[in-house]
Amino acid sequence: MEILVYTMEGCPFCESARRFLQERDLDFTEKTTPPGSKEWRAMRERTGGSTLPQILIDGVPVGGYADLVNLEATGELYRRLGLTERKPETVLYDVIILGAGPAGLSAAIYAIRKLLKTLIVSKDVGGQIAWTSDIENYLGFSQVNAAELVAKFEEHVKKFGVEKIVGVDVTAAELSGRIKRVTTEDGKTHFGKTVIIATGGRHRPLDIPGERELVGRGLSYCSTCDAPLFDGAEVAVVGGGNAALEATLDLMNLATRITLISLTPLTGDPLYQAKIQQSDKVEIFTECRPVRILGESAVDGIEFRSLQTGEIKTVSVEGVFVEIGMLPNSHLFLDTLATNSSGEILVDAECRTGLAGVFACGDVTNIPFKQVVVAVGDGAKAALSAYNYLLNRR
Amino acid sequence: MGEKVKIYTTASCHYCHQAKEFLVEKGIEFDAYDVGQDKEALQEMKKATGGARSVPVIVVGDKVIVGFDRLAVEDALKHMQT
Repeated sequence: MEILVYTMEGCPFCESARRFLQERDLDFTEKTTPPGSKEWRAMRERTGGSTLPQILIDGVPVGGYADLVNLEATGELYRRLGLTERKPETVLYDVIILGAGPAGLSAAIYAIRKLLKTLIVSKDVGGQIAWTSDIENYLGFSQVNAAELVAKFEEHVKKFGVEKIVGVDVTAAELSGRIKRVTTEDGKTHFGKTVIIATGGRHRPLDIPGERELVGRGLSYCSTCDAPLFDGAEVAVVGGGNAALEATLDLMNLATRITLISLTPLTGDPLYQAKIQQSDKVEIFTECRPVRILGESAVDGIEFRSLQTGEIKTVSVEGVFVEIGMLPNSHLFLDTLATNSSGEILVDAECRTGLAGVFACGDVTNIPFKQVVVAVGDGAKAALSAYNYLLNRR
Repeated sequence: MGEKVKIYTTASCHYCHQAKEFLVEKGIEFDAYDVGQDKEALQEMKKATGGARSVPVIVVGDKVIVGFDRLAVEDALKHMQT
């Protein structure tokens, strides 16, 4: 089998094709063909293509670099080369799901039940549920421990045998072609006909001096994890929504004094607000903005300013719990997908992003109400949408 | 093999559970301490980390890893085994 590659100098895709073949130990002959030359006209006649590179396998034109990559992804490249004993290194998945929180895991169940070849790629399993202790509003469970719910989700997915790669970050995603490419931090590339983005959200930082320096040294974004380390301590909680109120309630059993600082009036469930207001351990400051976390090697205080009077107040605390909402994990897609001003990926009623074969669901999208039950529902929708897309694509 | 792997956790911390499962899957023997209950272990953890107040903390040989970072743990285990 002979591989022939027409190239020209200074052409990046020619270089990519060259590297692709070299990396796979495939011998090839290269012909330099400046556009307009006699050789170039001969190439055009032979391949029907006028762009460079043009690649031929045993005299049969396969197209350019992208075609070469797609040929490999489908396993066809090795068949054409007669390398039957060589297993194709790559698998082409029907769906690659990025993220394994409630949205991603739900999408996986729906995808696998449609017999789609499915791969989950995720840094961790459970997503933001991992930061919660108990969940009381998931249908069918009047109260369930978050870790148990995640374990149930995981078990459900495992039962259907979905392939999972957990523990690595996705470093690049090329989504615009017919075949999508997802690269992980270990340098591996995964190929899919569709991609479902379910990368969720991460804690929003305060972005004030002292914060970054003192993370893990008294400053925490996970009260569920770290509250027990502040037994008998004085602490502050920043935020006014449910997450902040739940953190305050967790800490009420442990800490000796809690300063709750919120930029707005408290917005969390009235049920929680009432419990907190009854406690004489909690002092509430609303319409205040934190300006600095104090401490050298560990947190020893927090400074905040009243929006009403401008007065600056300092309280000494050993711990600061930041619970001021989330930011969408959409940074890899900002160049390719439409997002709103918060960076959330815009999706339609069928979880489509506007880019063919690319879907999104859960907290990374502009769908309002960041709830487990909403994410689970949207995960199902995204998978069914991907299935419809694949049916029409064939 | 050097000293046994240690992991400092709290009962409600999901990342701690995941970290322990990860070690079990890798077939690594370890001692786990619940620093929410065990104050002595909390002091030990603070000493090992130079004052960290965050879990999990995983100690592999002379490497101390704050937070569950799979790649860092894998890396530390590799060094310990060679």
